[in-house]
Amino acid sequence: MATYIAKRLGLALLSVWGVITIVFFMTKLIPGDAARVAAGRTATAEQVEQARQRLGLDLPVIEQYFLFLGKAVRGDLGESASTHQSVVSDLANTVPTTLQLVVVTMLLTVVIAVPLGALSAALRDRAPDVSARILFVLAGGVPVFWLAILLQWVFASNLGWFPISGANSFGMSPPSVTGFTLVDSLIAGSPAMFGDSLAHVILPALALSAPFMSTIARNVRSNMIGALDTDYVSFAISKGAGPYRVVVHHGLRSTMGSTLTLLGMQFGWMMGAALLVESVFALPGIGTYLNQAVLNQDTFAVLGCVLVIGIVFTVASLVVEVVQIWTDPRVRQSHLTGAQA
Amino acid sequence: MTLTSTPPEAEAPEIGADTPRTPARRAYEWLTPAGLGGGISRGLRGLFGRHTGALDRSAVVVSILLVAIAIIGPFVAPYDPYLAVPADALLPPGSQHWMGTDDAGRDVLSRLLVGAGTTLLAAVAVVLISTIVGVLVACVAVLSPRGVDATIMRICDIFMALPAMVLALGIAAALGPSLGSVVLAMVIAMWPGTTRLVRGILRVTMNAAYVESARVNGIGRFPTLVRHVLPNSLDSVYVQASMEISGAVVLMAGLAYLGVGAPPPSADWGAMVAQGREYITTAWWVATFPGLAITVAAIAFGLLGDVIRVRLDPSLRRKR
Amino acid sequence: MTAPVLEITDLTVSVPEVTRTDGGRGGLTLVEGVSLSLSRGERVALVGESGSGKSMTAKAVMRLDPTVDLSGSIRVVGQEVIGVPERAVRRLRGSAVSMVFQDPMTALNPVLTIGDQVAEPLRLRGVSRREARSRAIDMLDRLGVPSAARRIDAFPYEFSGGMRQRVVMAAALIGGPDVLIADEPTTALDVRVQEQVLDLLEEQSRELGLAVLLITHDLAIVAGFAHRVVVMRHGRIVEDRPVDDVFAAPQHPYTRGLLASIPSVDDDPTARLRTVDDVMQEDAALAASVILEEVAP
Repeated sequence: MATYIAKRLGLALLSVWGVITIVFFMTKLIPGDAARVAAGRTATAEQVEQARQRLGLDLPVIEQYFLFLGKAVRGDLGESASTHQSVVSDLANTVPTTLQLVVVTMLLTVVIAVPLGALSAALRDRAPDVSARILFVLAGGVPVFWLAILLQWVFASNLGWFPISGANSFGMSPPSVTGFTLVDSLIAGSPAMFGDSLAHVILPALALSAPFMSTIARNVRSNMIGALDTDYVSFAISKGAGPYRVVVHHGLRSTMGSTLTLLGMQFGWMMGAALLVESVFALPGIGTYLNQAVLNQDTFAVLGCVLVIGIVFTVASLVVEVVQIWTDPRVRQSHLTGAQA
Repeated sequence: MTLTSTPPEAEAPEIGADTPRTPARRAYEWLTPAGLGGGISRGLRGLFGRHTGALDRSAVVVSILLVAIAIIGPFVAPYDPYLAVPADALLPPGSQHWMGTDDAGRDVLSRLLVGAGTTLLAAVAVVLISTIVGVLVACVAVLSPRGVDATIMRICDIFMALPAMVLALGIAAALGPSLGSVVLAMVIAMWPGTTRLVRGILRVTMNAAYVESARVNGIGRFPTLVRHVLPNSLDSVYVQASMEISGAVVLMAGLAYLGVGAPPPSADWGAMVAQGREYITTAWWVATFPGLAITVAAIAFGLLGDVIRVRLDPSLRRKR
Repeated sequence: MTAPVLEITDLTVSVPEVTRTDGGRGGLTLVEGVSLSLSRGERVALVGESGSGKSMTAKAVMRLDPTVDLSGSIRVVGQEVIGVPERAVRRLRGSAVSMVFQDPMTALNPVLTIGDQVAEPLRLRGVSRREARSRAIDMLDRLGVPSAARRIDAFPYEFSGGMRQRVVMAAALIGGPDVLIADEPTTALDVRVQEQVLDLLEEQSRELGLAVLLITHDLAIVAGFAHRVVVMRHGRIVEDRPVDDVFAAPQHPYTRGLLASIPSVDDDPTARLRTVDDVMQEDAALAASVILEEVAP
């Protein structure tokens, strides 16, 4: 088992390295002078030249590449041309916000979509199922950025139930320990801060979760319908099992495998879509950072973001695979006996 | 996925046994042996037949309508979508402007109709290209020695190491703001998924019994693949592609929202939402109608994909 | 004679609305006017071709199929099953009447341990986890599953077909039912294993005083197992007599056809096996009397 994980991890890191390489060479394709960008718009020719040397932009591209890799391995991802801070510290400030958003979104999705899907399957083709399915279809097609705008408009601007934007209200941010505002407020022992942080994360999470809730609910529903049709469910009923036991103990157990896989894959997609939601709600996450970096042609920042997102994405997929092997005896058998896709 | 056991040539064309087997006819038969095949008329009858519910029918109708709008939109738009009329800025929906006007006084409805082309046709183009590329690469991978096959798979893994949005964003930004760059970026983000899927199917099919019998009869791997395996595997490709259109529409809109894509004053729906965003509290219509359009398109194409999936695999009919 | 543990009176099973093979739509009666009873410890074989209604009858005893309409009366240890709320039937399942399914590969949930599934009838009735577990080990032991204590936490995929069927039987017997319905329990198994499973069933039936309703289309296995044979055809019972009588002197022409189609060791090995239809074709008189018997019994 351990060797299997190690092998998959190695492959995953190889993929991330590949992405970095591709993006690196792509950033070199961007028209425009990176040195000028770094030096600032009002810089003199001299200052631009200084910046060029400082950033090693006068070296041949291949050398720059290896220089970059060398530094990256040692933990130095360069300096952001727009914030003039080290990319690493910028990332340290922004990644937790995005991660927190994604985690809250995942929790929301699981807590709402899974029971909804199961219920829908159990009451198949009856009124609740039909209306739920219409809901799934609607939620599945809605673009998150539009939903975010709508939610913001209706619930924040109009009804005032939630704050409009940002991660915390003025003066309510907890002292930064982990970077996750929810965790930090608990560490600081302040329920008020926790509540404030939560209020700021709910609307974005809801907007972000819509398409994913749709997929999960449909997945749970169709798996559950399949499970409810099986012989082993009939057998369980013949032993006296009631609907609750059938759905929860038998049904969910056997569908959990595929749902977990889906959730794991969604983790990565959520990070991608988080970009859009962060922009609407002005959350200082990696999405906003990347967006700015792309617009400003801030190559080091872009590379740093790609590296981090790539690692998170591939690690998430790996975790999902491992959990799947652990929990589902069928998958365990096929994977460890060497069957590889 | 339906796997027939007879090679495509053995099936008589539905129209009549004496239909001339022109190259066009043969290409048509090759593309549609198992599932969609048998003629457009039968296909349409199937889509509108007894087993199709009202929801499915409306999905098909709406999809066709959307494509039609995308094509003829620019010709039926009541106003010039690009002409700024500052005096008419931010007018609410009314008899003159059914969907109101935006901050530059342009008619929202007209921009919507024109933008349909950019958003929808571009999304369809993206899926078409990435599917073709994906299938080709998958064929190469399956026919190649194991080393090459593994390398191709590693390359796919690399491109799949980033969420599609991030990858497309990076590429499109690198290539500059234009419709072409967004299309290319999305194709690059989407082809590995298709390749993996198709390769998986091809590998399974290559081991099927009828392929073995072809091989035993001395037919090489390449002709086997092209004449026997591929046509029968295309069903899944069609389903995957139709599902992807919905995703591509939303992804493209998202990228446009972020400012990547055809530059302003393009009427791309995502860009329209971005524009209208700051006026949401005062002029809700500017951002709402484009968003609604994206939603409707995504839903319609998604349901269409579902319908096609059920059509191609009758065993799924009951399970919906 | 003691009261029957299972008493089916005039059972009719029908589906309300279905597209028929003749293209029309309407109700379809699958089983009609079936009456049958089992006493304590009695083993009855319910025999018929596919589509004869035997499985439907069996499933009706526990109201396992919610999509069909039942009319008539089914009393399990005196308790009526038709027309009563689901909760009442659920109480009987697993404790008064149990079922062994045909395919041991699919009857067990692959992601739950066999211990979990064998102990399930007990856990559903509030038996503590520890006690249920030890009783499950006992039961598996008694049914001949080797190293039961160790393998109780194993998953179904780790067992062979014959072993899985024993697990299924353990789960069916652990609640101490009075009636066991075995729906083609040997069809999916090898011939050798078939015999083992049947012997096991017979042994348990003798030891526990368990009434067994064995559903099968294979007349050959009936002879050494059942006390009585009930033959069904097209949803109706055509014969219901002690096993020896049926084999020696079958009354209904259809039964005669069935018996005549059983292959024997002395048959010509190159000749094609005969089906009931073949027999009826060969013997026109037999065919005529079958039809006559059904029209005017």
